[in-house]
Amino acid sequence: MNAIGMLTNLLFFPAGLFVLVTGLAYEWVDRKLVARFQNRLGPRWFQPLADMVKLLSKEEVIPEGLDVRLFVALPVVALAGALTAALYVPLVGLNPAHSFPGDLIVTLYLLSLLTMCIGLAGANTRDRFSLIGATRTLTQLFSYEAPFLLALLGPAIVVGSWQIREVTAYANQHWLILTQPVGFVIALIGLMGKLELPPFDAPEAETEIVAGALTEYSGRGLALFRLGKGVELVIGLTLVAAFFLGGVANPVAFFIKTLALLLIIAGLQSLFARLRIDQAVGLWWRYGALLALVQLLVLIILRFWGWNGGL
Amino acid sequence: MSINLEKTFQDALEQVKTWARTNSPWLIHFNSGSCNGCDIEILATLTPRYDLERFGVKLQGSPRHADILICTGPVTRQARERLLRVYEQMPEPKYVVAVGSCAISGGVFQGCYNVIGHIDQVIPVDAYVPGCPPRPEAIIDGVIKLLKSLEAQEQTA
Repeated sequence: MNAIGMLTNLLFFPAGLFVLVTGLAYEWVDRKLVARFQNRLGPRWFQPLADMVKLLSKEEVIPEGLDVRLFVALPVVALAGALTAALYVPLVGLNPAHSFPGDLIVTLYLLSLLTMCIGLAGANTRDRFSLIGATRTLTQLFSYEAPFLLALLGPAIVVGSWQIREVTAYANQHWLILTQPVGFVIALIGLMGKLELPPFDAPEAETEIVAGALTEYSGRGLALFRLGKGVELVIGLTLVAAFFLGGVANPVAFFIKTLALLLIIAGLQSLFARLRIDQAVGLWWRYGALLALVQLLVLIILRFWGWNGGL
Repeated sequence: MSINLEKTFQDALEQVKTWARTNSPWLIHFNSGSCNGCDIEILATLTPRYDLERFGVKLQGSPRHADILICTGPVTRQARERLLRVYEQMPEPKYVVAVGSCAISGGVFQGCYNVIGHIDQVIPVDAYVPGCPPRPEAIIDGVIKLLKSLEAQEQTA
């Protein structure tokens, strides 16, 4: 029975099929919203699914002069990392499938695995556009990762636990966006940086460097990387909504809150033009990391004085 | 019986593939010596006014990601190698649309010392869009007709 339960967890819910389908659906919502903001009709509802099936049925070209094993394995590792992270977050308001003290850190690192894989995939090929894309991907990783981590550590410090389940149990009672607005903004923008959405899409700027690190990927590899990004979008939105927006106690709250966050992200995407990579790094380290650190310091000092973290 | 089952499965798989292919054509645009008239029309086609994303069309930067190569202009001697290389880099199945009079016949550049000729002297072309330059509506029509012909091919096969 336990084995069947674990298999269901891995293959259907929460990791596996459910989060893949949700990822595709959220990608569609994002594209549709951006299209509506640009005053056009936008893609049909099955568009991400059609893209995925088409990519999976296409030929996969393996270029010369690279490590073939790495080229084939990286997309799988990237998707597996994102899917594993789904086991530790409260999807659809249910308790996480697995939980242990410190799983917040593990989840955040699993989410970075996708970006690491994209960077490695770019560095593995001999194509110059891939190389520049990989450099930019990794540069961006090092710039948004620290502020994003610090922002998500805020709620954990308040609760005094590194376990996602305990943090969300506390966040269900308190709207942490009221006491940690800076952390919320930084976490949301950090998520955009993680997913390389505009204005942080310098790593895949198609007008400058073709398609960035994934230039040489076609067919299956590209499909898996795109699926991984969709999964990461869902997980990131879940984490931010669960930590800052009063928790995701039931499915209705989950979908309302994550879709509201997606609306904000889509709005920001269509509002801003692409930042140069040095501007993005400057933004993160000069303002993001500094503000997150200041807020973290204030939280620690207040907790030292016995404040319980709520209003 | 088991052979039949396998055949129905294969047919269903083919149908799903064709459905996906016709609903998600990603384009790449290559200019092999055009005067830029057709290129401007192609860019106009991709603007929000015509909104090709409602057919699932996306402009891709990398030939590795694209399904349809949109060619403009006659093929000059210098561009021939590049055109061939871009075509070879695209993964199967791939299709080519020739846009504009020059891409179809060489147009006014026919017989020029530096021009080889039209696109299908170098790579196989699946759809032709005439005009100098063709209107965005004509380009959309050409791509949609190519997709319709794919569906028809699948039904006859």
